Amino acid sequence: MGLVRRLILIAFILAAGSTSKILFAEPASLDSWKIGNIPQDEKISTDPWAKIFDSVHGFIEAAYGPKFSGDKLTQKNDYNLLEQRLQLKVAYRPQKPAWLASWNPEFFYKGDLLTDEYKETVRYQIREAYGLVSPLSWMDVKLGRQILTWGTGDYLFINDVFPKDYESFFIGRDDEYLKAPSDAGKFSVFSRLVSMDVVVIPSFTPDVSISRGDRLSFYDIFLGRIAGKESSLIFTEPAFQPKNTEIATRLYRNFGEYETDLYAFKGFFNQPRGIKNESTQDVFYPKRAVFGASIRGPAPSVGGIASGEVGYSDSLQDRSGKNRLIENSAMEYLLGYERDFQKDWRMGMQYLVEQMLNFDEFKANSQPGDIPRDEFRQLLTFRITKLFWRQTLEASLFTFYSPTDSDAYLRPRFTWQASDHWKLTAGGNIFFGKYDWTEFGQLKDNDNLYLRVRYTF
Amino acid sequence: MKYLGFGLVFASLLSVSGMELGSAYAANSGEGSTVMKEMLLAYYYPQKDAQSDVFMRIVNRQGQSRERRLAMLRLDKTDGGEQFYYIYFHEPADVQGMSFLVLKHPGRDDDRWLYIPSIDLVKRIATSDKRTSFAGSDFTYEDVSGRDLDEDEHELLGEEALGEYSTFLVKSTPKRSGDVEFSYRKLWIDKTTHLPVKVEHYDLKGTLYKVYETRQVQSIEGTPTITKAAMKDIGSGHETEITIKAITYDVGLTPDLFQERLLRRAPSQWIRR
Repeated sequence: MGLVRRLILIAFILAAGSTSKILFAEPASLDSWKIGNIPQDEKISTDPWAKIFDSVHGFIEAAYGPKFSGDKLTQKNDYNLLEQRLQLKVAYRPQKPAWLASWNPEFFYKGDLLTDEYKETVRYQIREAYGLVSPLSWMDVKLGRQILTWGTGDYLFINDVFPKDYESFFIGRDDEYLKAPSDAGKFSVFSRLVSMDVVVIPSFTPDVSISRGDRLSFYDIFLGRIAGKESSLIFTEPAFQPKNTEIATRLYRNFGEYETDLYAFKGFFNQPRGIKNESTQDVFYPKRAVFGASIRGPAPSVGGIASGEVGYSDSLQDRSGKNRLIENSAMEYLLGYERDFQKDWRMGMQYLVEQMLNFDEFKANSQPGDIPRDEFRQLLTFRITKLFWRQTLEASLFTFYSPTDSDAYLRPRFTWQASDHWKLTAGGNIFFGKYDWTEFGQLKDNDNLYLRVRYTF
Repeated sequence: MKYLGFGLVFASLLSVSGMELGSAYAANSGEGSTVMKEMLLAYYYPQKDAQSDVFMRIVNRQGQSRERRLAMLRLDKTDGGEQFYYIYFHEPADVQGMSFLVLKHPGRDDDRWLYIPSIDLVKRIATSDKRTSFAGSDFTYEDVSGRDLDEDEHELLGEEALGEYSTFLVKSTPKRSGDVEFSYRKLWIDKTTHLPVKVEHYDLKGTLYKVYETRQVQSIEGTPTITKAAMKDIGSGHETEITIKAITYDVGLTPDLFQERLLRRAPSQWIRR
């Protein structure tokens, strides 16, 4: 069956690829070509179907990520990434009816068809499906499934409370897949004084957690050791009810060349940071609020871009910190700096401090077997990037290092843009850790190398 | 983060041209500087604003080509001074939908942002080095955006007929020779339009290694505009041609358009996709 399925998908992909190629062979019948009285040699197509299909883009990709230190704990021992993916996206901007057209509407759809050899499934995931309108000149409304991002961190998030897919991140999928979509309404108002986004998320979406154990081995708190598929956590998500609607807001404006933001959020932890029942290994997503601020702009005198972000994470179901089964409140501080150098070199660094609040209560209530924690967890990141071959080859290394957790995570990567359509990516995910229970230490048996081949159209 | 590499390159596209034209000029008077200043204004500041569709083809010695297609909005706050730029990428497909915002300030670093739609990320970027390749092409940032007038000594060598053009010939020598890979440039500047017709780059040994040439000039709404230009690397045979497919001047852009909103939502009235 597996072979048949694969053949069907390949046929589908080839068909999709060749169709789009034909359609793209004739450049768009864009009105812009008529501007400026410059004679154009392109043919003007009036076929409405050509117009629609011309706005279809996407890619096909094959990815393989062998593990080089298999721990025999997960579903497959030799690799944690083996898949083929077809992504298609299309935008539509209706010109009728007139009342809608005056709102400058845009409908966007992006979906992924994934043949996942690791999980032995074929999945279809809608990445984005939204309508975007401007009912007033100073207002945008975006409704539907969308990717949401704000904040200043590079792979680190304080006030960006939107769902992440860390599984994708750790096995070597494209960076795009670190962000998981939300079903939400985003209401934005713009003014010279201050602009505002209000995001309403009626149905909670958790992070794609690593603690499912089927693809990545991790530290199972109930077993007290690194575990994989034998882990049997039960995840309880907040019910789909009006009172569980999440709300995230951002106020922002620029002062000269500096961007400043204020953030507020009320909803849930995106990770199962609460234990409902220890004996049944039932974990849940506790309520929380986050209040924060950030600033970003040029670093004085030395050049480059500097940023700072803070956040207060209010653990609403354990504000005193006395309940050892629920994550405490915390303060988070992030400093970032990035700049470029001659010959296409670029470097970035970040320093993150997570301060657990009510640490005395945490210590007083801890029981044997609980994961030991620091009051101040520190994390450093370094990014170094260099471009070669007329910028068609990018070599980069992103490193996480925590001096307090004594763990580290290395992400080396080479990306070669072989042509305007073909891209080859090779990289690795390498984890180090002194202890089994730290963020990166628990992943140390999931080291992999990966290779991705992508054709974009 | 391939996107970023690509974006960074575009980021610096127009980073220099507006910098301190006025003050730089005052410190560097003379006929050569006058001609150069007129060139910078004619090339980078025509009319108040502009909307254009740009096509770029990069060809190597084997004839293999890469193509970039982008839409650009420009608004001048003052002639020779502050400028706003917005760039939207149509092709290659890999970066389709990416956009880029530049606020150019005389006297201090430009503000630059890149938007990556697939992760809804507005990224602030810094670009210090302006002598690297522009989007993998044979143009450097400075070739594309204009080099700061005050970076060089400009000497008017004379007048020369070049094809159909009657030109001024200017030799520009960097004041700080260690900063750049050329020892001097020779520029042929059209007397009538003040646009560059040809630029020769000489390396540190004094050998010609790179040539810019204007291939087409058209009068767009009465404004002489370079609609096709090329840069050729003589050693490698590598060549890049930039074509302005369409351009309209004075379309009515306003400064409040050039905000974060523009990045997250491409303006359909200006950018046809």
